[in-house]
Amino acid sequence: MNVLPKMTPLRWGIAGALIVLLELVNRLAGVGMSLVLTEMLILALFASSLNLLMSYGHMVSFGHAAYFGLGAYGFTLAVARFDVPVELAVFIGPIVAGLGGLVFGALCVRLTEIYFAMLTLACAQITFTVLFQWYDFTGGDTGITGFMNPRFGLTEQNFMTLVLVVLVLCLFAMAWIVKSPLGLSIRSVGQDRWRAEALGLAPRRVQLTVFVIASVFAGIAGTLFAVFQGSAFPDYAGLGFTLDALIMVVLGGLNSFWGGLVGAVILVQLEHWVLMVTSHWELMLGLAVLVLVLVLPQGVVSVAGRLSNMLGLGRKK
Amino acid sequence: MLSLKDVHASYGKAEALHGIDLAITPGEVVCLIGRNGVGKSSTMRSIVQDQISVRGGAVEFEGQSLVGMRPHDVIRLGVGYVPEDRRVFASLSVLENLKVPRPVRDVSRRTWSLDQVFELFPQLYDYRHRTAGVMSGGEQQMLSIARSLLTQPKLLLLDEPHEGLAPKVAEEVVDAIVALKAEGVSMMISEQALHTIRRCADRVYVVDRGVTVWNGTVDDFYANPEITRKYLMVQ
Repeated sequence: MNVLPKMTPLRWGIAGALIVLLELVNRLAGVGMSLVLTEMLILALFASSLNLLMSYGHMVSFGHAAYFGLGAYGFTLAVARFDVPVELAVFIGPIVAGLGGLVFGALCVRLTEIYFAMLTLACAQITFTVLFQWYDFTGGDTGITGFMNPRFGLTEQNFMTLVLVVLVLCLFAMAWIVKSPLGLSIRSVGQDRWRAEALGLAPRRVQLTVFVIASVFAGIAGTLFAVFQGSAFPDYAGLGFTLDALIMVVLGGLNSFWGGLVGAVILVQLEHWVLMVTSHWELMLGLAVLVLVLVLPQGVVSVAGRLSNMLGLGRKK
Repeated sequence: MLSLKDVHASYGKAEALHGIDLAITPGEVVCLIGRNGVGKSSTMRSIVQDQISVRGGAVEFEGQSLVGMRPHDVIRLGVGYVPEDRRVFASLSVLENLKVPRPVRDVSRRTWSLDQVFELFPQLYDYRHRTAGVMSGGEQQMLSIARSLLTQPKLLLLDEPHEGLAPKVAEEVVDAIVALKAEGVSMMISEQALHTIRRCADRVYVVDRGVTVWNGTVDDFYANPEITRKYLMVQ
Protein backbone atom coordinates (compact mmCIF):
# COMPACT_ATOMS: atom_id res chain seq x y z
CA MET A 1 0.00 0.00 0.00
CA ASN A 2 1.40 3.31 -1.01
CA VAL A 3 1.12 5.83 1.81
CA LEU A 4 2.40 8.74 -0.23
CA PRO A 5 -0.09 11.26 -1.56
CA LYS A 6 0.31 10.50 -5.24
CA MET A 7 -1.31 13.27 -7.24
CA THR A 8 -2.37 12.39 -10.76
CA PRO A 9 -4.04 15.11 -12.88
CA LEU A 10 -7.37 13.39 -12.16
CA ARG A 11 -6.81 13.60 -8.41
CA TRP A 12 -5.76 17.23 -8.61
CA GLY A 13 -9.02 17.82 -10.44
CA ILE A 14 -11.06 16.03 -7.79
CA ALA A 15 -9.27 17.89 -4.98
CA GLY A 16 -9.87 21.21 -6.70
CA ALA A 17 -13.52 20.40 -7.31
CA LEU A 18 -14.00 19.43 -3.65
CA ILE A 19 -12.48 22.70 -2.49
CA VAL A 20 -14.76 24.67 -4.80
CA LEU A 21 -17.74 22.59 -3.63
CA LEU A 22 -16.89 23.25 0.03
CA GLU A 23 -16.65 26.96 -0.63
CA LEU A 24 -19.97 26.93 -2.51
CA VAL A 25 -21.73 25.14 0.34
CA ASN A 26 -20.12 27.60 2.75
CA ARG A 27 -21.49 30.57 0.83
CA LEU A 28 -24.92 29.19 -0.01
CA ALA A 29 -26.04 26.90 2.81
CA GLY A 30 -26.33 29.41 5.61
CA VAL A 31 -24.44 30.38 8.74
CA GLY A 32 -25.16 27.14 10.60
CA MET A 33 -23.53 25.07 7.89
CA SER A 34 -20.52 27.40 7.78
CA LEU A 35 -19.93 26.80 11.49
CA VAL A 36 -20.19 23.04 11.03
CA LEU A 37 -17.75 23.16 8.12
CA THR A 38 -15.28 25.31 10.04
CA GLU A 39 -15.21 22.87 12.92
CA MET A 40 -14.84 20.01 10.45
CA LEU A 41 -11.84 21.61 8.76
CA ILE A 42 -10.11 22.42 12.05
CA LEU A 43 -10.62 18.85 13.24
CA ALA A 44 -9.38 17.61 9.87
CA LEU A 45 -6.12 19.48 10.45
CA PHE A 46 -5.90 18.12 13.99
CA ALA A 47 -6.56 14.54 12.85
CA SER A 48 -4.10 14.90 9.97
CA SER A 49 -1.39 15.91 12.42
CA LEU A 50 -2.05 12.75 14.43
CA ASN A 51 -2.15 10.78 11.19
CA LEU A 52 1.34 12.03 10.38
CA LEU A 53 2.52 10.50 13.63
CA MET A 54 0.56 7.26 13.28
CA SER A 55 0.67 6.45 9.57
CA TYR A 56 4.27 7.44 8.91
CA GLY A 57 6.01 7.31 12.27
CA HIS A 58 3.91 4.29 13.41
CA MET A 59 3.66 5.97 16.80
CA VAL A 60 0.23 5.76 18.42
CA SER A 61 -0.31 8.70 20.73
CA PHE A 62 -3.06 8.60 23.36
CA GLY A 63 -2.45 12.20 24.25
CA HIS A 64 -2.41 14.22 21.07
CA ALA A 65 -5.01 16.68 22.39
CA ALA A 66 -2.31 18.06 24.72
CA TYR A 67 -0.77 19.86 21.74
CA PHE A 68 -4.15 21.00 20.45
CA GLY A 69 -4.79 22.44 23.92
CA LEU A 70 -1.33 23.97 24.20
CA GLY A 71 -1.87 25.65 20.83
CA ALA A 72 -5.21 27.05 21.95
CA TYR A 73 -3.90 28.18 25.34
CA GLY A 74 -0.60 29.46 23.94
CA PHE A 75 -2.58 31.77 21.73
CA THR A 76 -5.26 32.66 24.27
CA LEU A 77 -2.90 33.35 27.17
CA ALA A 78 -0.64 35.44 24.97
CA VAL A 79 -3.61 37.64 24.10
CA ALA A 80 -5.45 37.61 27.42
CA ARG A 81 -2.54 37.72 29.89
CA PHE A 82 0.32 39.33 27.98
CA ASP A 83 -1.60 41.68 25.68
CA VAL A 84 0.11 40.30 22.58
CA PRO A 85 -1.70 41.44 19.43
CA VAL A 86 -3.77 38.61 17.96
CA GLU A 87 -1.93 38.77 14.63
CA LEU A 88 1.27 37.85 16.45
CA ALA A 89 -0.33 35.52 18.98
CA VAL A 90 -1.54 33.14 16.26
CA PHE A 91 2.10 32.19 15.77
CA ILE A 92 2.72 31.78 19.49
CA GLY A 93 0.08 29.02 19.79
CA PRO A 94 1.81 26.58 17.43
CA ILE A 95 5.22 27.44 18.89
CA VAL A 96 4.03 26.66 22.42
CA ALA A 97 2.56 23.39 21.14
CA GLY A 98 5.87 22.58 19.44
CA LEU A 99 7.81 23.27 22.62
CA GLY A 100 5.38 21.09 24.56
CA GLY A 101 5.94 18.39 21.97
CA LEU A 102 9.70 18.77 22.34
CA VAL A 103 9.64 18.37 26.12
CA PHE A 104 7.04 15.59 26.34
CA GLY A 105 8.28 13.96 23.14
CA ALA A 106 11.86 13.71 24.43
CA LEU A 107 10.41 11.78 27.36
CA CYS A 108 7.99 9.62 25.37
CA VAL A 109 10.27 8.45 22.53
CA ARG A 110 12.44 6.68 25.09
CA LEU A 111 9.72 4.05 25.08
CA THR A 112 7.96 2.24 22.25
CA GLU A 113 4.53 0.89 21.39
CA ILE A 114 2.04 0.59 24.25
CA TYR A 115 4.49 2.11 26.74
CA PHE A 116 4.96 5.05 24.43
CA ALA A 117 1.19 5.43 24.15
CA MET A 118 0.71 5.31 27.94
CA LEU A 119 3.39 7.94 28.46
CA THR A 120 1.78 10.27 25.92
CA LEU A 121 -1.48 9.79 27.81
CA ALA A 122 0.22 10.70 31.09
CA CYS A 123 1.75 13.83 29.54
CA ALA A 124 -1.63 14.89 28.17
CA GLN A 125 -3.27 14.37 31.56
CA ILE A 126 -0.58 16.52 33.18
CA THR A 127 -1.29 19.26 30.64
CA PHE A 128 -5.02 18.95 31.20
CA THR A 129 -4.66 19.07 34.99
CA VAL A 130 -2.47 22.16 34.90
CA LEU A 131 -4.94 23.95 32.63
CA PHE A 132 -7.84 22.76 34.75
CA GLN A 133 -6.49 23.76 38.15
CA TRP A 134 -4.23 26.76 37.69
CA TYR A 135 -7.06 29.25 38.24
CA ASP A 136 -4.90 32.37 38.53
CA PHE A 137 -3.29 31.90 35.16
CA THR A 138 -5.41 29.64 32.96
CA GLY A 139 -8.78 30.40 34.49
CA GLY A 140 -9.18 26.76 35.52
CA ASP A 141 -12.32 24.93 34.51
CA THR A 142 -14.12 28.16 33.63
CA GLY A 143 -11.60 28.70 30.85
CA ILE A 144 -10.80 32.03 29.28
CA THR A 145 -13.52 33.87 27.41
CA GLY A 146 -14.26 37.30 26.05
CA PHE A 147 -10.68 38.30 25.41
CA MET A 148 -11.17 38.88 21.70
CA ASN A 149 -13.73 39.03 18.97
CA PRO A 150 -14.34 35.43 17.93
CA ARG A 151 -13.04 34.70 14.41
CA PHE A 152 -11.10 38.03 14.43
CA GLY A 153 -14.50 39.58 13.88
CA LEU A 154 -14.82 37.93 10.47
CA THR A 155 -18.19 36.66 9.29
CA GLU A 156 -18.79 32.93 9.67
CA GLN A 157 -18.40 32.44 5.93
CA ASN A 158 -15.17 34.38 5.60
CA PHE A 159 -13.63 32.66 8.60
CA MET A 160 -14.47 29.26 7.11
CA THR A 161 -12.66 30.29 3.93
CA LEU A 162 -9.65 31.36 5.97
CA VAL A 163 -9.57 28.00 7.77
CA LEU A 164 -9.89 26.20 4.43
CA VAL A 165 -6.85 28.08 3.11
CA VAL A 166 -4.81 27.28 6.23
CA LEU A 167 -5.79 23.61 6.03
CA VAL A 168 -4.78 23.33 2.37
CA LEU A 169 -1.44 25.03 3.08
CA CYS A 170 -0.81 22.71 6.03
CA LEU A 171 -1.64 19.65 3.93
CA PHE A 172 0.85 20.80 1.30
CA ALA A 173 3.46 21.25 4.02
CA MET A 174 2.74 17.77 5.41
CA ALA A 175 2.94 16.17 1.97
CA TRP A 176 6.22 17.93 1.36
CA ILE A 177 7.62 16.67 4.68
CA VAL A 178 6.47 13.12 4.00
CA LYS A 179 8.19 13.07 0.62
CA SER A 180 11.41 14.73 1.82
CA PRO A 181 14.48 12.76 2.96
CA LEU A 182 13.30 13.45 6.51
CA GLY A 183 9.99 11.81 5.60
CA LEU A 184 11.84 8.76 4.33
CA SER A 185 13.74 8.56 7.62
CA ILE A 186 10.44 8.85 9.50
CA ARG A 187 8.87 6.07 7.45
CA SER A 188 11.87 3.76 7.73
CA VAL A 189 12.18 4.21 11.49
CA GLY A 190 8.42 3.72 11.78
CA GLN A 191 8.59 0.45 9.92
CA ASP A 192 11.64 -1.03 11.60
CA ARG A 193 13.64 1.04 14.03
CA TRP A 194 16.39 -1.57 14.46
CA ARG A 195 16.97 -1.83 10.74
CA ALA A 196 16.97 1.93 10.36
CA GLU A 197 19.49 2.11 13.16
CA ALA A 198 21.66 -0.50 11.42
CA LEU A 199 21.73 1.92 8.50
CA GLY A 200 23.03 4.77 10.60
CA LEU A 201 19.79 6.58 11.52
CA ALA A 202 19.24 7.70 15.11
CA PRO A 203 15.68 6.42 15.72
CA ARG A 204 14.87 8.50 18.78
CA ARG A 205 15.98 11.71 17.13
CA VAL A 206 13.84 10.94 14.08
CA GLN A 207 10.87 10.05 16.27
CA LEU A 208 11.26 13.20 18.32
CA THR A 209 11.37 15.26 15.14
CA VAL A 210 8.10 13.83 13.81
CA PHE A 211 6.54 14.20 17.28
CA VAL A 212 7.39 17.91 17.34
CA ILE A 213 6.18 18.41 13.76
CA ALA A 214 2.88 16.71 14.60
CA SER A 215 2.60 18.85 17.74
CA VAL A 216 3.09 22.06 15.78
CA PHE A 217 0.33 21.11 13.32
CA ALA A 218 -1.94 20.15 16.23
CA GLY A 219 -1.05 23.53 17.74
CA ILE A 220 -2.12 25.30 14.56
CA ALA A 221 -5.45 23.46 14.75
CA GLY A 222 -5.79 24.38 18.44
CA THR A 223 -5.05 28.03 17.75
CA LEU A 224 -7.64 28.11 14.98
CA PHE A 225 -10.14 26.50 17.32
CA ALA A 226 -9.52 29.12 20.02
CA VAL A 227 -9.97 31.88 17.46
CA PHE A 228 -13.11 30.17 16.16
CA GLN A 229 -14.65 29.91 19.61
CA GLY A 230 -13.15 33.12 20.97
CA SER A 231 -12.37 31.13 24.09
CA ALA A 232 -10.22 28.36 25.51
CA PHE A 233 -11.24 25.56 27.87
CA PRO A 234 -9.19 22.79 29.50
CA ASP A 235 -11.31 20.27 27.58
CA TYR A 236 -9.31 21.15 24.47
CA ALA A 237 -6.43 19.20 25.98
CA GLY A 238 -8.72 16.49 27.37
CA LEU A 239 -9.30 12.87 26.57
CA GLY A 240 -12.36 13.65 24.46
CA PHE A 241 -10.35 15.44 21.81
CA THR A 242 -7.65 12.77 21.86
CA LEU A 243 -10.26 10.08 21.30
CA ASP A 244 -11.94 12.08 18.54
CA ALA A 245 -8.61 12.38 16.75
CA LEU A 246 -7.90 8.66 17.09
CA ILE A 247 -11.40 7.79 15.86
CA MET A 248 -11.04 10.13 12.90
CA VAL A 249 -7.73 8.61 11.84
CA VAL A 250 -9.00 5.05 12.15
CA LEU A 251 -12.36 5.85 10.50
CA GLY A 252 -10.69 7.65 7.65
CA GLY A 253 -7.97 5.11 7.17
CA LEU A 254 -4.67 4.47 8.84
CA ASN A 255 -1.66 4.34 6.50
CA SER A 256 -3.15 6.85 4.13
CA PHE A 257 -2.27 10.49 3.78
CA TRP A 258 -5.95 11.40 3.59
CA GLY A 259 -7.06 9.36 6.61
CA GLY A 260 -7.39 12.25 9.06
CA LEU A 261 -9.16 14.45 6.56
CA VAL A 262 -11.73 11.85 5.53
CA GLY A 263 -12.26 10.83 9.15
CA ALA A 264 -13.00 14.40 10.17
CA VAL A 265 -15.55 14.81 7.38
CA ILE A 266 -17.32 11.63 8.45
CA LEU A 267 -17.23 12.34 12.19
CA VAL A 268 -18.45 15.92 12.01
CA GLN A 269 -21.06 15.34 9.33
CA LEU A 270 -22.32 12.23 11.11
CA GLU A 271 -22.66 14.20 14.33
CA HIS A 272 -24.41 17.06 12.57
CA TRP A 273 -26.98 14.97 10.74
CA VAL A 274 -27.53 12.32 13.38
CA LEU A 275 -28.26 14.93 16.04
CA MET A 276 -31.12 16.21 13.87
CA VAL A 277 -32.79 12.82 14.04
CA THR A 278 -31.85 11.48 17.44
CA SER A 279 -29.95 12.64 20.49
CA HIS A 280 -28.22 9.27 20.80
CA TRP A 281 -25.26 10.50 18.80
CA GLU A 282 -22.61 8.55 20.71
CA LEU A 283 -24.54 5.35 20.15
CA MET A 284 -24.64 5.99 16.42
CA LEU A 285 -20.94 6.84 16.37
CA GLY A 286 -20.15 3.62 18.19
CA LEU A 287 -22.17 1.61 15.71
CA ALA A 288 -20.54 3.42 12.79
CA VAL A 289 -17.07 2.67 14.13
CA LEU A 290 -18.04 -0.95 14.72
CA VAL A 291 -19.40 -1.40 11.20
CA LEU A 292 -16.46 0.36 9.59
CA VAL A 293 -13.84 -1.58 11.47
CA LEU A 294 -15.53 -4.85 10.50
CA VAL A 295 -16.38 -3.98 6.89
CA LEU A 296 -13.52 -1.62 6.03
CA PRO A 297 -10.60 -2.39 8.33
CA GLN A 298 -8.42 -0.06 6.27
CA GLY A 299 -10.78 2.85 6.68
CA VAL A 300 -13.05 4.73 4.35
CA VAL A 301 -10.12 5.88 2.21
CA SER A 302 -9.71 2.30 0.97
CA VAL A 303 -13.13 2.52 -0.71
CA ALA A 304 -11.71 4.74 -3.44
CA GLY A 305 -8.98 2.20 -4.22
CA ARG A 306 -11.44 -0.69 -4.25
CA LEU A 307 -13.84 1.18 -6.50
CA SER A 308 -11.15 2.11 -8.99
CA ASN A 309 -9.92 -1.49 -9.00
CA MET A 310 -13.46 -2.71 -9.72
CA LEU A 311 -13.79 -0.20 -12.54
CA GLY A 312 -10.46 -1.30 -13.97
CA LEU A 313 -8.87 2.06 -13.29
CA GLY A 314 -6.38 0.46 -10.92
CA ARG A 315 -2.71 1.15 -11.07
CA LYS A 316 -1.01 -0.23 -14.12
CA LYS A 317 2.28 -1.00 -12.46
CA MET B 1 41.03 -2.38 11.63
CA LEU B 2 38.69 -4.38 13.88
CA SER B 3 39.70 -6.39 16.88
CA LEU B 4 37.75 -8.31 19.50
CA LYS B 5 39.60 -9.41 22.61
CA ASP B 6 38.08 -11.90 25.03
CA VAL B 7 34.58 -10.54 24.41
CA HIS B 8 31.85 -11.65 26.79
CA ALA B 9 28.33 -10.56 25.89
CA SER B 10 24.82 -11.36 27.00
CA TYR B 11 21.15 -10.87 26.26
CA GLY B 12 19.76 -9.79 29.60
CA LYS B 13 21.01 -12.48 31.99
CA ALA B 14 21.66 -15.10 29.32
CA GLU B 15 25.32 -15.00 28.39
CA ALA B 16 25.89 -15.78 24.72
CA LEU B 17 29.60 -15.12 24.22
CA HIS B 18 32.26 -16.37 26.61
CA GLY B 19 35.48 -15.22 25.01
CA ILE B 20 35.62 -14.18 21.38
CA ASP B 21 39.00 -13.19 19.96
CA LEU B 22 39.36 -12.06 16.41
CA ALA B 23 40.95 -9.42 14.24
CA ILE B 24 40.48 -8.16 10.70
CA THR B 25 42.97 -6.16 8.66
CA PRO B 26 41.93 -3.82 5.81
CA GLY B 27 40.98 -5.55 2.58
CA GLU B 28 40.59 -8.89 4.27
CA VAL B 29 37.59 -11.20 4.08
CA VAL B 30 37.09 -13.28 7.17
CA CYS B 31 34.56 -16.07 7.62
CA LEU B 32 33.03 -16.91 10.94
CA ILE B 33 31.86 -20.49 11.00
CA GLY B 34 30.20 -22.75 13.49
CA ARG B 35 26.99 -24.62 14.11
CA ASN B 36 23.64 -22.96 14.68
CA GLY B 37 23.41 -21.05 17.93
CA VAL B 38 27.12 -21.01 18.84
CA GLY B 39 27.34 -17.22 18.78
CA LYS B 40 28.12 -16.15 15.22
CA SER B 41 25.25 -13.66 15.07
CA SER B 42 25.89 -12.57 18.64
CA THR B 43 29.50 -11.82 17.71
CA MET B 44 28.30 -9.55 14.91
CA ARG B 45 25.78 -7.92 17.21
CA SER B 46 28.41 -7.31 19.86
CA ILE B 47 30.37 -5.37 17.25
CA VAL B 48 27.51 -3.07 16.25
CA GLN B 49 26.02 -3.08 19.78
CA ASP B 50 22.68 -4.25 18.40
CA GLN B 51 20.38 -5.41 21.24
CA ILE B 52 23.17 -7.18 23.12
CA SER B 53 25.33 -5.96 25.98
CA VAL B 54 29.07 -6.50 26.01
CA ARG B 55 29.98 -7.35 29.60
CA GLY B 56 33.70 -7.93 29.27
CA GLY B 57 36.63 -7.71 26.90
CA ALA B 58 37.33 -5.13 24.22
CA VAL B 59 35.76 -4.34 20.87
CA GLU B 60 37.84 -1.85 18.93
CA PHE B 61 37.42 -0.42 15.46
CA GLU B 62 40.35 1.63 14.15
CA GLY B 63 41.60 2.05 17.69
CA GLN B 64 38.28 3.26 19.06
CA SER B 65 36.29 1.24 21.57
CA LEU B 66 32.77 0.45 20.37
CA VAL B 67 31.47 -0.91 23.68
CA GLY B 68 28.42 1.00 24.92
CA MET B 69 27.97 3.02 21.74
CA ARG B 70 24.59 3.41 20.10
CA PRO B 71 24.31 1.17 17.01
CA HIS B 72 23.84 4.10 14.64
CA ASP B 73 27.06 5.68 15.89
CA VAL B 74 28.96 2.44 15.17
CA ILE B 75 27.48 2.39 11.66
CA ARG B 76 28.50 5.99 11.12
CA LEU B 77 32.08 5.13 12.06
CA GLY B 78 32.14 2.88 9.02
CA VAL B 79 30.86 -0.54 10.03
CA GLY B 80 28.21 -1.78 7.59
CA TYR B 81 25.86 -4.41 8.97
CA VAL B 82 23.55 -6.78 7.10
CA PRO B 83 21.67 -8.78 9.73
CA GLU B 84 20.62 -12.34 9.05
CA ASP B 85 16.90 -11.67 8.74
CA ARG B 86 17.58 -9.04 6.01
CA ARG B 87 14.38 -7.12 6.69
CA VAL B 88 14.06 -4.67 3.86
CA PHE B 89 11.49 -1.91 4.43
CA ALA B 90 8.68 -3.87 2.81
CA SER B 91 6.36 -1.01 1.92
CA LEU B 92 9.09 1.27 0.55
CA SER B 93 10.25 1.00 -3.04
CA VAL B 94 13.70 -0.38 -3.84
CA LEU B 95 14.94 3.12 -4.56
CA GLU B 96 13.54 4.45 -1.29
CA ASN B 97 15.18 1.60 0.60
CA LEU B 98 18.49 2.63 -0.90
CA LYS B 99 17.94 6.24 0.06
CA VAL B 100 17.34 5.51 3.74
CA PRO B 101 21.04 5.74 4.66
CA ARG B 102 21.81 9.44 4.91
CA PRO B 103 24.90 10.70 3.08
CA VAL B 104 27.99 10.65 5.29
CA ARG B 105 29.37 14.08 6.12
CA ASP B 106 32.98 13.24 5.31
CA VAL B 107 33.09 13.51 1.51
CA SER B 108 36.34 11.56 1.22
CA ARG B 109 34.56 8.56 2.69
CA ARG B 110 31.85 8.48 0.02
CA THR B 111 33.07 5.45 -1.89
CA TRP B 112 29.71 4.08 -3.05
CA SER B 113 27.23 5.98 -5.16
CA LEU B 114 23.76 4.85 -6.16
CA ASP B 115 25.00 4.29 -9.72
CA GLN B 116 27.87 2.09 -8.57
CA VAL B 117 25.53 0.04 -6.46
CA PHE B 118 23.21 -0.44 -9.42
CA GLU B 119 26.20 -1.49 -11.51
CA LEU B 120 26.99 -4.17 -8.97
CA PHE B 121 23.35 -5.29 -8.69
CA PRO B 122 21.77 -4.63 -12.12
CA GLN B 123 18.50 -6.31 -11.21
CA LEU B 124 17.94 -3.77 -8.45
CA TYR B 125 18.03 -1.05 -11.09
CA ASP B 126 15.40 -2.87 -13.15
CA TYR B 127 13.17 -3.18 -10.08
CA ARG B 128 13.94 0.23 -8.57
CA HIS B 129 10.30 1.37 -8.50
CA ARG B 130 8.99 -1.95 -7.22
CA THR B 131 7.82 -2.34 -3.62
CA ALA B 132 10.63 -4.12 -1.80
CA GLY B 133 8.26 -6.46 0.03
CA VAL B 134 7.15 -8.27 -3.13
CA MET B 135 10.67 -9.17 -4.27
CA SER B 136 12.14 -12.64 -3.90
CA GLY B 137 14.37 -13.55 -0.97
CA GLY B 138 17.51 -13.35 -3.09
CA GLU B 139 16.61 -9.93 -4.43
CA GLN B 140 15.84 -8.72 -0.92
CA GLN B 141 19.24 -9.94 0.22
CA MET B 142 20.91 -8.07 -2.66
CA LEU B 143 18.94 -4.97 -1.70
CA SER B 144 19.94 -5.37 1.93
CA ILE B 145 23.63 -5.60 0.98
CA ALA B 146 23.35 -2.71 -1.47
CA ARG B 147 21.65 -0.58 1.17
CA SER B 148 24.45 -1.24 3.64
CA LEU B 149 27.06 -0.26 1.05
CA LEU B 150 25.44 3.15 0.91
CA THR B 151 26.29 3.71 4.56
CA GLN B 152 29.85 3.87 3.11
CA PRO B 153 31.31 1.11 5.29
CA LYS B 154 35.02 0.51 5.69
CA LEU B 155 34.12 -2.93 6.94
CA LEU B 156 30.99 -4.88 6.03
CA LEU B 157 29.45 -7.47 8.36
CA LEU B 158 27.28 -10.04 6.59
CA ASP B 159 25.34 -12.36 8.84
CA GLU B 160 24.51 -15.62 7.03
CA PRO B 161 23.95 -13.86 3.71
CA HIS B 162 22.36 -16.81 1.98
CA GLU B 163 20.34 -18.30 4.78
CA GLY B 164 17.00 -19.53 3.52
CA LEU B 165 17.76 -18.97 -0.15
CA ALA B 166 17.49 -21.53 -2.92
CA PRO B 167 20.94 -22.90 -3.92
CA LYS B 168 20.97 -21.12 -7.27
CA VAL B 169 20.00 -17.79 -5.71
CA ALA B 170 22.48 -18.33 -2.90
CA GLU B 171 25.17 -18.75 -5.52
CA GLU B 172 24.25 -15.36 -6.98
CA VAL B 173 24.69 -13.79 -3.56
CA VAL B 174 28.12 -15.39 -3.28
CA ASP B 175 28.94 -14.00 -6.74
CA ALA B 176 28.07 -10.55 -5.42
CA ILE B 177 30.30 -11.08 -2.38
CA VAL B 178 33.16 -12.16 -4.62
CA ALA B 179 32.60 -9.03 -6.73
CA LEU B 180 32.69 -6.90 -3.57
CA LYS B 181 35.91 -8.57 -2.53
CA ALA B 182 37.39 -7.69 -5.91
CA GLU B 183 36.51 -4.07 -5.13
CA GLY B 184 38.63 -4.32 -2.01
CA VAL B 185 35.81 -4.28 0.56
CA SER B 186 36.80 -5.71 3.95
CA MET B 187 34.20 -8.15 5.13
CA MET B 188 33.28 -10.44 7.95
CA ILE B 189 30.84 -13.12 6.90
CA SER B 190 29.18 -15.67 9.10
CA GLU B 191 28.72 -18.85 7.23
CA GLN B 192 27.53 -22.42 7.41
CA ALA B 193 27.97 -23.56 3.83
CA LEU B 194 31.58 -24.70 3.59
CA HIS B 195 31.94 -24.56 -0.19
CA THR B 196 31.37 -20.79 -0.28
CA ILE B 197 34.27 -20.18 2.11
CA ARG B 198 36.76 -21.28 -0.51
CA ARG B 199 35.35 -18.82 -3.00
CA CYS B 200 35.61 -15.67 -0.94
CA ALA B 201 37.42 -16.01 2.39
CA ASP B 202 41.03 -15.22 3.26
CA ARG B 203 40.87 -16.48 6.81
CA VAL B 204 38.51 -18.54 8.91
CA TYR B 205 37.46 -18.33 12.54
CA VAL B 206 35.65 -21.26 14.08
CA VAL B 207 33.20 -20.47 16.88
CA ASP B 208 31.91 -23.05 19.31
CA ARG B 209 29.65 -22.38 22.33
CA GLY B 210 30.45 -18.68 22.44
CA VAL B 211 34.22 -19.09 22.15
CA THR B 212 36.57 -18.75 19.16
CA VAL B 213 38.23 -22.16 19.13
CA TRP B 214 40.35 -22.09 15.98
CA ASN B 215 41.59 -19.66 13.40
CA GLY B 216 43.79 -19.87 10.36
CA THR B 217 43.95 -19.41 6.62
CA VAL B 218 41.46 -21.04 4.28
CA ASP B 219 44.14 -23.50 3.14
CA ASP B 220 44.90 -24.48 6.75
CA PHE B 221 41.22 -24.95 7.32
CA TYR B 222 40.85 -27.36 4.43
CA ALA B 223 44.10 -29.10 5.38
CA ASN B 224 42.61 -29.97 8.78
CA PRO B 225 39.41 -31.90 8.17
CA GLU B 226 39.23 -32.82 11.87
CA ILE B 227 38.20 -29.23 12.61
CA THR B 228 35.18 -29.61 10.42
CA ARG B 229 34.41 -32.94 12.04
CA LYS B 230 34.81 -31.64 15.57
CA TYR B 231 33.09 -28.26 15.39
CA LEU B 232 30.78 -28.27 12.41
CA MET B 233 29.26 -31.68 11.94
CA VAL B 234 26.22 -32.66 13.90
CA GLN B 235 27.23 -35.39 16.28
